Formats: sequence, C-alpha cells, structure tokens
Amino acid sequence: MAVPLRADDCDSMVAEHEYTIETLKKISELLSSNPEYYTAWNYRRQVLQYQFSQAEGSDDDAAAHSITELIMNDLHFLIPLLRSFPKCYWIWNYRLWLLDEARRLLPLPEAQQIWQQELALVGKMLTLDSRNFHGWGYRRFVVETLKELGTAEEARSMTQKEFEYAKKMIGANLSNFSAWHYRTKLIQSLLDEQSASDDDRRRMLDDELSLIHQAFIDPYDQSLWFYHQNLMCVFDPSMAERTMAPNLSSSDRLQYIRNEIEEIQEMLDGAEDCKYIYQALIECTLLASKVEGSLSSEDRDQILGWLSELKKLDPLRRERWLDFEKTL
Amino acid sequence: MALVSGPGRGEGIPDSELHSSKHVTYIKNLDTRKDELEYWLTEHLRLNGVYWGLTALHILGCPDTLPRDQTIDFVLSCQSDNGGFGAAPGHDAHMLYTVSAVQILITIDAVDELEKRGRGGKEKVGSFIANLQNADGSFMGDQWGETDTRFLYGALNALSLLRLMDLVDVPKAVAHIQSCENLDGAYGIRPGAESHAGQVFTCIGALAIAGRLDLVNKDRLGAWLSERQIESGGFNGRPEKLADACYSWWVGSSLAMIDRLHWIDGEKLAAFVLQCQDPDAGGFADRPGNMVDVYHTHFSLAGLSLLKFNGLEEIDAINSCMPKAITAKCLAG
Repeated sequence: MAVPLRADDCDSMVAEHEYTIETLKKISELLSSNPEYYTAWNYRRQVLQYQFSQAEGSDDDAAAHSITELIMNDLHFLIPLLRSFPKCYWIWNYRLWLLDEARRLLPLPEAQQIWQQELALVGKMLTLDSRNFHGWGYRRFVVETLKELGTAEEARSMTQKEFEYAKKMIGANLSNFSAWHYRTKLIQSLLDEQSASDDDRRRMLDDELSLIHQAFIDPYDQSLWFYHQNLMCVFDPSMAERTMAPNLSSSDRLQYIRNEIEEIQEMLDGAEDCKYIYQALIECTLLASKVEGSLSSEDRDQILGWLSELKKLDPLRRERWLDFEKTL
Repeated sequence: MALVSGPGRGEGIPDSELHSSKHVTYIKNLDTRKDELEYWLTEHLRLNGVYWGLTALHILGCPDTLPRDQTIDFVLSCQSDNGGFGAAPGHDAHMLYTVSAVQILITIDAVDELEKRGRGGKEKVGSFIANLQNADGSFMGDQWGETDTRFLYGALNALSLLRLMDLVDVPKAVAHIQSCENLDGAYGIRPGAESHAGQVFTCIGALAIAGRLDLVNKDRLGAWLSERQIESGGFNGRPEKLADACYSWWVGSSLAMIDRLHWIDGEKLAAFVLQCQDPDAGGFADRPGNMVDVYHTHFSLAGLSLLKFNGLEEIDAINSCMPKAITAKCLAG
C-alpha cells in the first residue's frame, strides 16, 4: 500500500473547502502514517467543525446524535495512534480539542459521558508508561473538566477517587514521582473542597508523614525524598501557606521537625553511604533554625559533620556543598 | 535541513575529543538526503531543523556553511499571511516555528528581509505572537488553543530579539510562570503539573528575559537542577529518569541563569555528552549507542559551549539559545 507522506491531496481539498468524509479519510491516512504532521490535525478540525455545523441544522435530538457520533468516531480513530505515539503532543492536544467541542456542542449528560470515558483511557495509557507527562497532564485536564461539569458533591468524590488512584500508582511503583506529585496536589484539593479544619489537616499531615516513613524502606530512591521535601514545606514559615497545613504554631512546627530529624537519623543505620539522608538532616535542621530564628552552635556542628559526609559521598555536587559551607 | 536520524550512532565509549569537522559535515549533508523516507516524515520540524543546524554550525565556528540567500528564501517561504511561520512551506503558522524563524533571521542578520520580501515587517510577526497571549498571561501555540510554558518562553524570546516586548503583557506572563512553580522550586508545563527540566528552562528563561529572576528561589531550584546529574555524568529531566544529552542544555543553561552552573560536575557532564557523538559520521544522539539527529547535535554542542569546551564559540545562556556574539549585538543599546 502506498503510504501518503505528503499532504498535497489534503492541502487542495481543504483549500477548496471540500469538507467531506472523503477528505477526512485522506487526512486519516496521512495522520496514521505521520501523526506529527500538525497541519493535517488542523485540517481535521476544520472538516469536523464544518460537519458539526451541518448537523446543527437539524432538530436538537438529531443534531446531538450526529455530533456525538462524529466525535465518538474520531475519538476511536485516535486510540491506536496514541498507543503507537504516546509522546506526540499533537495527538493529545487534538483529542482535548475534540472533547472541548463535545462540551461546547452537546447537552450536559452526553458531554459528561464522553469526558468520563477518558479517565479509563488515560488510566490505560499511564499503565503502559507510568511517567508519561502527557498522560498525567491529560488526566488533570479530564478531572478538572469533569469537576466543572458535575455538582460540588460529585467534584469532591472525584478528588477522593483520584487520591485513591494516585495511591494505587504509588503502590505499584514507589519511584513514580509523577504519582507522588499528583498526590501532593490532590491532598490540597481534597482538604480545600472539604473545607477541612486545622485538626483535619493535621491528621492528614500525620498520615502522610507515617506513609513516607514506611516508604523509606529504600532510602536511595530520590522520588521519596522529593516527596518528603514537599511535606517539610508545611513547617517552613515562608512556604507553609502553599501547603496542606498552613496554620501550625511555631512550637508545633519545631516539634514536628525535631521528630523528623530523629526519624531520619535512625535511617542512617545500615545506610551510612546514602547522601539523601544527610541532605534531609541538614535541610530539617536549617528549617528548625528558621523557625527558631537562629542556628544554635550545637546544630551548626551537627550540620558541619553531615556536610563533611556529603562532600565525600556526593562529589558531583561538591561545589554546591562548598557554597553551602560558606553560608554557615 | 532535514531531521533525518542517523546514519550513525553515538559511540558510547569514552572519548575526550570533540570531532568538530565531522559534525560540520554531518549538518551540511542533512539537506542532501531527500531520497530518504524519513526526510518527509520530519517535514513538521524543518524550520526548527534549520535553526538547530545553523546554530550548531555557529557554535562549531563555521557560521557561513549554509548559503545565506537560500536560508532566507526558505525561512520566508514558511511565512503565513497572518505573519506567523509554519514548519515548512504550506504548513500552518505556529509559535514554535515562528520563534525558530526569528532566531534564524537574527542569526544571519536578515530581519529587514521581512520588510522587503516577507508578508509585512517584523511588527507583523510580533502581532502574530502577541495575539496568542491569553487573558491569564499564558500563551497558546496557535489559534487552536494549546497552552504550555514553552510557548510563553518562545513568545518572550522572539519578541525580545525583535525588540517588540511592549506588544504583550509581561507582568501577567510573569504571574503565570509563578503559578507553574512547585514546592521543589522547579516548574511544570502548566499550573499543577510536575516539575520538568525542559519546562524549568522555559520558565527561568522567560523570567530572565523579563528581568524577574529575583522571583526565583535560586538555592531550592539550583538544588533540584543539580540533582538532575546522575552517576553517568549526564542529566535527566525528572527524578528517577534516564539521562539525555539535550538536558545538558536545558538543565545547564537554567543553572547558568541562576548563577549555579558550578553546582554540577562539568567534566563528567562533558564526558557523557562526548560519548553520545558519532566520531566517524558526526552528530550526537540522546544517549550513548542511539541514533544521532540534528536536535541532539545542536543541544549537545550548546551544552558543551556552556561548559566552555575548548574550541567552541560561546553560547548565550540567558537571552536565547544563540551565539553570544550575535545576541550581544542584537540586544545592545
């Protein structure tokens, strides 16, 4: 079979405003052989928009039916392409456009149903590649839109379900920072949507701390430490506002930080060569001094001790550690 | 300029030498491969390809390798009536290619050709870009609405080179970037998205152009960026991912913009990048053992230039990924 590499046919058909099924078929052939041919995705939009406008001429039910069919067919066309080219921006982007058209043109229940099906699709895509940032970005769009289309109650339950989803993805692979990142964002939404009290927020924080401590069974995994760093922002007076528990008192913050330092120090046993542990100890100790308003000489000595380990364990970033040393 | 990958592969064995003349030949020959299937499959990147090839040749100290007139002709043949540029003649205008067109025209000192032979002068290009700004300060790639911090950076990059920054709302663009910052000090593609080194480059680059690097938590971001260097010496783009030679630019220039390029091991980085080159047929791959292509060739060389690798022309880490001698002249006064 001849593979269409050039858009010549499509170019002229679109230029002549031949927005027919035949043109769409040509465009499909071109895109199937080369989905990076972005101009052809724009042709496709033009043809679809023309067909939508034709359908809108009939009565409401018939119009909704035809438009749904056009959209569903097109969504279907994209699936093998997404599977073969999961990192192609244009396909994801076109699919979102199509879904926005569904939202714009169809009655709410039909639009909701179409958007709802996307969650299953993106779930499959993320199972195939759990770090695909197109997939994660797409998932956020779908969830945000479903929340906008639904009631406040539905939005809350959606966030809860997504929280479970992120948990499942983390459970499948603790190194998946994409899922940890999503978890950070979801916790914020969950608490905000529930108008959570400071006590609720604190309970959530306690749960997260105990979760990450359990996860630290592999202290060499950078993803876990970045999640830990996210959690520590709760105790940072200049960042707390952006976190799940913004209103802790200074003495509570200190108490938490001191507990963390103790927990992390225990991890050193058997993992003395793990640089992340020293980094976290330093960061937490600095955080404590930030809350207290000054760095005690005892803490300073501790930091210098950890720093000398870091300089040995982490030669790639030696200059960073030397710069830091000068600030002490 | 085609983006055909290969023919060679990154060698993957330690090599302290940069095979400059091979890379020049590799780039020069890219456009002679029109009989290859992949030439046509990469048409969607052709204008980017010219920018990558041209800039790489400048870095290699061979700025006059590509014929200037033909280059101008090709760039102008990609312009649409709306002032924007597509990837190749007949392709729709899009931010990504418009930025490449501007970078090429500045590099070969041919912006006035827009007035003489293009579809309107530089203001027309500027207005295409400015019309893509959204109310929240972000930018779309084209009329169909995708937004991404890449497009915001591209807009500011091109407009500053054209000296047309006043066409857009810079404070709003800056506010949008701030909304993409995560707790790790790094940035994502849109608000809520995971931090990604490529996206960090676009956000920090835009802030640099806007003169607002004061908004960056430099130690925190510098720490995140420096953790991108892994044992092989190369940089990855996100935690627990593989290294890729192009991140030597995305991560390296971001570190340079916040004065922390020394926080990584430059020698080990250079050694990794050199392992990605094909010493016989030229070109660089994403990682040792893979097929070379012009995108990775350009960003590998840009990364090496950033590290002041011997024999390479200096790249501008702040204003645009272009030769410093050119941006200095363009932005002076």
